[in-house]
Amino acid sequence: MISTAGPVVVTHELTKRYGEFTALDNLSFMLDRGQILGFIGPNGAGKTTTIKILVGLMRPTSGSASIAGADCVRDARRIKRLVGFMPDTFGSYDNMRVREYLDFFGAAFGIGRRERTRRIDEVLETTGSTYMRDRYVESLSHGMKQRIGVARTLLHDPDVLILDEPANGLDPQARIEMRELLLRLSDMGKTLIVTSHILPELSRICNIVAIMTKGKLRAFGTLDQIMQAIRQRRTFEVQLVEGTKAAEVAEAVTKGLDETEQRSVAAHESEAVVRFQTSRSDADLADLLGGLVRASLGVAQFREVPTDLEDAFLTVTRES
Amino acid sequence: MIAIFQREFFGILRLRRAVVAMVAMAVCSGLLVLARWPSEALVDLSGSQARQVFRIFTYGMLAGVLLLAPAWPATSFVQERRRGTLALLFNTPLSKLAIYAGKLSGVLAFVGLVLITSLPAAAACYAMGGIDLTQDLGSVALVLSVATLQYVAVGLLVSTFANSTDSAVRTTYAVVFSLCFLALGPHYFLQGQEGWTPLLAAWLRRVSPLPVLMHLVGQGSVGSQGLMESSSGMPEYLLASLVVTAGVMIATLVQLHSGIFDRSRSQGLITDEQSLGVRAARRVFFLVDPQRRSAGIPFWLNPVMVKEFRTRRFGRLHWILRLVAACAVVSLLTTLAATTGTVDWGVETIGGLLVIFQVLLMVLLTPSLTAGLISGERESGGWDLLRMTRLSGWQIAVGKLMSVAWTLLLVLLATLPGYIVMIAIKNVMWLQVSLVIVCLLLSTLVTLAVSAAVGSLFSKTTTSTVTAYVVLLAMFFGPLLIWLGRDAPFGYEVVQAALSITPAPAALSVIGMPGFEQYELIPLAWWVAAGVSGLSFAFLFARIWRLMRPS
Repeated sequence: MISTAGPVVVTHELTKRYGEFTALDNLSFMLDRGQILGFIGPNGAGKTTTIKILVGLMRPTSGSASIAGADCVRDARRIKRLVGFMPDTFGSYDNMRVREYLDFFGAAFGIGRRERTRRIDEVLETTGSTYMRDRYVESLSHGMKQRIGVARTLLHDPDVLILDEPANGLDPQARIEMRELLLRLSDMGKTLIVTSHILPELSRICNIVAIMTKGKLRAFGTLDQIMQAIRQRRTFEVQLVEGTKAAEVAEAVTKGLDETEQRSVAAHESEAVVRFQTSRSDADLADLLGGLVRASLGVAQFREVPTDLEDAFLTVTRES
Repeated sequence: MIAIFQREFFGILRLRRAVVAMVAMAVCSGLLVLARWPSEALVDLSGSQARQVFRIFTYGMLAGVLLLAPAWPATSFVQERRRGTLALLFNTPLSKLAIYAGKLSGVLAFVGLVLITSLPAAAACYAMGGIDLTQDLGSVALVLSVATLQYVAVGLLVSTFANSTDSAVRTTYAVVFSLCFLALGPHYFLQGQEGWTPLLAAWLRRVSPLPVLMHLVGQGSVGSQGLMESSSGMPEYLLASLVVTAGVMIATLVQLHSGIFDRSRSQGLITDEQSLGVRAARRVFFLVDPQRRSAGIPFWLNPVMVKEFRTRRFGRLHWILRLVAACAVVSLLTTLAATTGTVDWGVETIGGLLVIFQVLLMVLLTPSLTAGLISGERESGGWDLLRMTRLSGWQIAVGKLMSVAWTLLLVLLATLPGYIVMIAIKNVMWLQVSLVIVCLLLSTLVTLAVSAAVGSLFSKTTTSTVTAYVVLLAMFFGPLLIWLGRDAPFGYEVVQAALSITPAPAALSVIGMPGFEQYELIPLAWWVAAGVSGLSFAFLFARIWRLMRPS
């Protein structure tokens, strides 16, 4: 068991180059025990490269990475004990039943026979896969394989789990089950690093988000921190009682904004909504709302449109 | 159909291995002719030198067809099914027949193109004189074309049944080599006898192109036990071969129409959960029940070795028991047939036959088990998972090699009862038999080491399996081509050196097989085998060490 104090995963100016091409550029971050890090970025952003360096499958060109104090390049044996890795490919073997498959990996991790039998039952129970134990691995559906993949990473009871696209190709039901499984693992005290293209899924489970593009870390922190850092303008919506007043309200709102913000004002008569973007303070916005109410324009609601991970991701990737 | 043909033909042409195959065929056929091209300014009025060149050229071309023709069709349907493109093809207005014809013609066109690269060598052969354009070159071309059609059709049929590309390649090669070589076996024992069985054996022999080609190059007497045939057997070969090909084609079309997507998923049936009666019945029937819940891997066994056995379709204990039993039965039947036959062959010939049977078994079985040991893991994504475990490269390599070594050893041991019968007939032969067994063990070691080393070079199982087969067949059967040309065109020294490349001819020499008894191959063949095996293992371990390191 690793120490509860201090960061568990640390990377320092991690760089990976292939000739002229830089796959990873000075990546530095820290992750504490029990946290779930969502690694997001477009294809070729450097997520898998980072993961492969962390699990010791790839050597960085410069910089360092460590997990629970073990250097990812020099302490390969400790890393293997500390980390459970699920790559984006399942790595199935034909003609093997699920129990035999897990038994092999348990033996490969040096777990004794009796202990292995107990662990296999445990991980199958944890991942909700007990009913699959006698099925042949190649006959499993994609969602089932993903769950067996997670079970495999749990066999040697690692403290850090690194999962590359665990929700990829899953149907909505399987995705919900996977999300619940990851949260359950976090509750068990595991530190998780998860990559995914399905951003709403990540936003529901991750404490920390890292956004990468072109090998660089563009944003890192809690979702709220990232939102605050990236949003210079917030989006607001004025819901009206009648759509016919939309043009009038839009005109009143425009008067309260500066010249650059005025262009963002849009009146949607059919929806009875006026939307605009502004960087003004909450006090200024309170004045604006007061003016609209006093003018008796039929304002039903005045609300900020919440920014989600997808918006944050798009903003960061566009800027980069 | 044209669209399928174009996609198949140009798809193959775009592959790097297709270019390698064409260049290899052109270079090898050219070198074969060049090796025997007259260097002295003398006119060969008898044309014997031209016949020698033609003989080598013909065998070289047959080897080319055997090695190249099955590789492409074997992966054709199975690859499309796994990628999901076969379902898309079936959803087009194209009929199954059109799809099949497109694929067949595409592969045939490519193999034809490869064979055409040998035309300059054939022209050089003809230019030497003494070779008839239609009687010799034309006949050889006809036989090889029919053989190519047959092997491509077989490859496509296997491809519709197979679940993976590597198993398709393995099965296709096994069937093709059986059609070419094993089909000759029954006739060898039964020739000269009367009745239905010898007649069937004679027709089975006609499926192979080898007897016709040997007759065409003037070596029809090899293996005939002095019973010479008056004709080349060309019409019979064409008839038998085309009937088999038609049957194979029909079977493929039936499979395309009904069964190719009709595969249910395993429901995880386990004997442990069946009634007591079912459990007892299965225990009696199977001895080792394949559906019994297996125990965990004990600490004294290498987990990789156990995994390898479990992941092979025929690696499970019940299949190994069947294989061993079949080998023992064939070995004893061979000896029995030889000792009770009408022709008195002598113990030496029986021993020679056993050696050939064992070497054939080793050469056919080993690459299929060994070539994909590393490439299979890399292709499936299992290699990274193995690297993430606490297993060292050494443990992985030893586990994988031992899984093949045990299988081969069991198969080899199962073929030994024939030798016991031989010693019982002529007990002074025990020393010869001991030397033969050493030769066979070394042959097994060489096949294992070479195919594992060659296979580790590639990341695709299909490529590694095909390459391992090509290398091993070249090593084991290449010297036999030179042996067929003993005295003319090759001298004693050349043949002896060629036969020393592997220990298999040394076994034939020790047992006193006619045609081999005059060569002194031991201990040189043993040293060569040990050296080749050592180097191959060293290369394999270095390769695994490199693949285990962070990239």
